[in-house]
Amino acid sequence: MNALGLFGAFATLFAAGYGLLVLLIHRSARLSLAEQIAFSWLFGTGAVSLLLWAFGFFADGLLLQGLVSFVCISLGMVGWNLKKPSQIRSKARWFEVVLTPVIAIEIAIVFYLSFVHTLGWDGLLNWEIKARYAFANGGVLPAAYFSDTGRAFSHPEYPLAIPFTELWLYLWLGEPNQFCAKTIFPAFYVAGTFLVAAFTARLSRRTWLGLLMAALLFFVPQITVEVGCASAGYADFPLSVFYLAAAGCLFCASERGNDVFFRLYAACLALLPWVKRDGLILWIVAAACGVFVILWRRKSPLSLVAFLPGIVIICAWRLYLNAMHALQAVDFLPFNLETFRTHVDRATPLLSALLAEFCNLPTWSLFWFIVAVAFLYALPRMRDPGVVALLLALIAPIVLYLSLYLFSSWPNYLDHVGLSISRLLMQVTPVGFLLIALAISRRPERRPQRVQMPNRATCAIARSERTAVVELA
Amino acid sequence: MTSHWSCGRIAHLLLWCGLAAALLMVSIPKIYSGVTEYRLRPGGALHTTDSYLKFATGREGVSKNLISMFDSMPMSKPIVIFIRRGDAFSSGLGMTTAYLASPHAVRLCEIDGTHPDNELYRINPDKVAAVVLCRLNRPSWLPAGKVFGPGLEIVSIGEKG
Repeated sequence: MNALGLFGAFATLFAAGYGLLVLLIHRSARLSLAEQIAFSWLFGTGAVSLLLWAFGFFADGLLLQGLVSFVCISLGMVGWNLKKPSQIRSKARWFEVVLTPVIAIEIAIVFYLSFVHTLGWDGLLNWEIKARYAFANGGVLPAAYFSDTGRAFSHPEYPLAIPFTELWLYLWLGEPNQFCAKTIFPAFYVAGTFLVAAFTARLSRRTWLGLLMAALLFFVPQITVEVGCASAGYADFPLSVFYLAAAGCLFCASERGNDVFFRLYAACLALLPWVKRDGLILWIVAAACGVFVILWRRKSPLSLVAFLPGIVIICAWRLYLNAMHALQAVDFLPFNLETFRTHVDRATPLLSALLAEFCNLPTWSLFWFIVAVAFLYALPRMRDPGVVALLLALIAPIVLYLSLYLFSSWPNYLDHVGLSISRLLMQVTPVGFLLIALAISRRPERRPQRVQMPNRATCAIARSERTAVVELA
Repeated sequence: MTSHWSCGRIAHLLLWCGLAAALLMVSIPKIYSGVTEYRLRPGGALHTTDSYLKFATGREGVSKNLISMFDSMPMSKPIVIFIRRGDAFSSGLGMTTAYLASPHAVRLCEIDGTHPDNELYRINPDKVAAVVLCRLNRPSWLPAGKVFGPGLEIVSIGEKG
């Protein structure tokens, strides 16, 4: 029964996501199967959680589940009717043949880990708690929960993408189930792996490098086995996958006329603040990178509409919290110049803590050292707006997160840093892999009209799929 | 060497192969120990809370007992949970109990020391469904409650119906 319920929940999630993906690309691009699966999962979780929240204003129980299921199935049918065949590679190299089962084994291990371990502390008491309480109240979070001081520890103000995806599973299972709720987190790992592989292959024009980067993602202990890892039930890894999708799409969209990836970027961008409160910072950074690309490439001013969905989600959630009289978090002091001036002396210890974290081998292995090498490689290529956007997307969130600790209200702000910095850094880790791939590939500055490898998926190919070269591919 | 395999290209290749090998050498022991540390166990609907409560109280399947106990209490009255300041185990136990006490409203009271006598005196018994003591000593004047291991005691104040 549980398996059937899980199948129904996952099928409707993928159907909704696939329909949205096809509507966004609108016959103008061909994505690989891995990209379709990854984007379908991301858009599916985003859409279903938003629909559950929006329809929850006027429906609950079976009606709510039925309405959301109807929309999911409708989107899936629309997507199926508009679909285009996936890109099919003609022949794989031996290295790719070796790497594919390695990645499959890694994914199997992440699934295994997610079932071996319980939900992490935040996974249970910040995220799953909302799914459980909403399920017990017919699929809608009880209004009393938002102002319940006894449960303020569970951060009622956190957004609902992750808990309402868990809720969707519960509605199909017919009961809240902490064990089954964990299944969504390895699915995010799968999406992250597929996107690292796909974006790397696009930006380096080498499929083997994409597979290699995807395989190496597993070897960052913070992602695999550390506290707050991909299988722990925390929102940080899912957020990192959404951020990777936004940054990767923006890199592809930085090529002239590549509007398909700009639309995908806009969709991923909008969902960032819906996954976690920190997603607002990632949204700001990714939006700033988007503005940079729009200006550099002299895209139409209409491109700025891409930021509207995210702004709507941010404002709608803020209004909802105000209407519910939700308790506000007390982790930070008021963000003003006076607080900044009195706490600026924290800057040096914070920098030391960050450096210590970068050098924390049990948590990060050599990942940040390799990123530093890749950063040096990227410096001579600063004329490429995609590279600049990628560097900004990696560095700006780290700087902003570190600055936030200046405003920490914890008695010992370094405890606050120690408890959360590894998870915050994990949010930009997959983007770091794109930078490493760029350095390894030593890709020359892009000339979009010169597509040299017709059997490889690149951003340039995806831009204009109707060319003879791509029809051949 | 032809221009296809220039010195720069070889150095580039060696650098990245070396970095990848070093990453694997540092990571694999850590990941291996993380993967092999625990064995797969059957998971239930309350898989995580049961594990937390077993860790804190030493008893199996406590979550279900707690839920049925809270269900037997009047929903209109809140549950007061006492936890000990500076004791991570106590606050963890308190928060897990608060999680399971839904749909009751809960009040988390953090106290210094291990004797909540003063705070308990201030409670009006007519307005509270139960008192939960997390790693705290129950005063002798308070009736005995249901004990779940050494760290958790729930004193029901007014039964439903």
